[in-house]
Amino acid sequence: MNKSTLLFFSAITAFTFSNCGGGEKSEEIETGDSVKTEEPKVNPVSETFFQVPSPGEMLTFIKMVGGKNNKNTTFLNSPANEKNYTDNKSKSINFGIYSCDLSYCSIFGIGSESLKYFKTVKTMGDQIGVSTAIKPEVLKRLESNIGVSDSLAVITDDVYFSSFEALEDSKQGPTLALVVAGGWLESIFIATNLAKFEEKSPVVERLADQKYTLENLVEFLKKHESDANVASVKADFEGLLAEFNKISEKDVTATASGKEGDKTAMLGGGKQLFITKEVYETIVGKIKTLRNSYTLTK
Amino acid sequence: MKYFITLFIVAVISSSLFSQAGVCGNFHKKYCVLGNDKGAKWQYNAQSKSGLFNQGMVSKLRCVIYKGMDYRISVCCETVLGDKVSYKIFDSRTNELLFDNSTSEDTQSFEFQSVSTRQLIIEVVVPQGATEKDKHKATDAACVGLLIEHKITDKQGFSAY
Repeated sequence: MNKSTLLFFSAITAFTFSNCGGGEKSEEIETGDSVKTEEPKVNPVSETFFQVPSPGEMLTFIKMVGGKNNKNTTFLNSPANEKNYTDNKSKSINFGIYSCDLSYCSIFGIGSESLKYFKTVKTMGDQIGVSTAIKPEVLKRLESNIGVSDSLAVITDDVYFSSFEALEDSKQGPTLALVVAGGWLESIFIATNLAKFEEKSPVVERLADQKYTLENLVEFLKKHESDANVASVKADFEGLLAEFNKISEKDVTATASGKEGDKTAMLGGGKQLFITKEVYETIVGKIKTLRNSYTLTK
Repeated sequence: MKYFITLFIVAVISSSLFSQAGVCGNFHKKYCVLGNDKGAKWQYNAQSKSGLFNQGMVSKLRCVIYKGMDYRISVCCETVLGDKVSYKIFDSRTNELLFDNSTSEDTQSFEFQSVSTRQLIIEVVVPQGATEKDKHKATDAACVGLLIEHKITDKQGFSAY
């Protein structure tokens, strides 16, 4: 074995052991001591993560409650607009918007549009650094499932989740925050284009429920507000949240219930949200203005 | 010169390995048990998350659950800590404790519906001393995954729709 090879293996061996816990712990292994617990440890600072449901969850719900035959795509952001997004902020937000549009076309079985939106998502994904998450073979999977909306939805969900993970893994927090914001906003924009105000309409109720999701989203944006682009989007979303805060909340009196032996527990209590037509229309107007300001459309 | 080139290559390889070593990213997808009831179509929920936990560390995840949906939450972690991780579910607005797995035989998964859409706080704790069982465990940190799945509630159940 020559000197270089010896050096190589020595370094790899040393690295491997250092990764197994450091010098102090190595000593514990040698002596056979258990992990010491007598001395009080300082607990790491508790952290709260604020999570946001995917746009696909909202769109699937809308389809389920009565939109199965909907094929309208006129309100989506046209793929032709992609060339207008030249800065990081607009690229990231519109990547989220186009990803949501792709989900919409897939969930509603608008196959030919799915292909167009996938190509746009792929192009923009390459620009914001998630090229590894959106592999070219996905296009082949989409093409071979063009008439099967369930399969299309699964494939496009994978694209969204893979992009999300790629941004998380590469520590691109601000970009991720903008993508999530764009995706959520577009899902709400689509919902408001498909639903008119009706009391007790499931879609309108679900839109009112977005108050909670928006609160989480604003908290998520706050974690990355040192980035100027995120800070400006956070300010926009706080303005929208002010409108959502006009939705009234009432205690739900129903208590936890369920038959003995039921596998699924029922969580009682909580709040029910009540949205008036006036508040609904104000929110719809705000969403439209905000969304179009990001897509640079009217 | 050859010595320094070799040293550089070693440093690059080591650096690359190290950057991969600290990532728990997809842990919940790889190790948490998926719901597979007959006829149930559980779907992956984007609010799932994984993280690196130290003993005694408390992490909270605030998520949104909708009425009219069934949810399944499962917790998973590296083997040594596996039966020690505990979690509690609170209503975010009222801080009411809704579920505590320590009162349910430390179950690692929980299926539920809610009568109202609400924000939940899921609090996950890896107790101190959790690694005592394994004298050869060289680290007190482990990847912990929190998998959330959802499906539309059967119409015969509690669904409002």
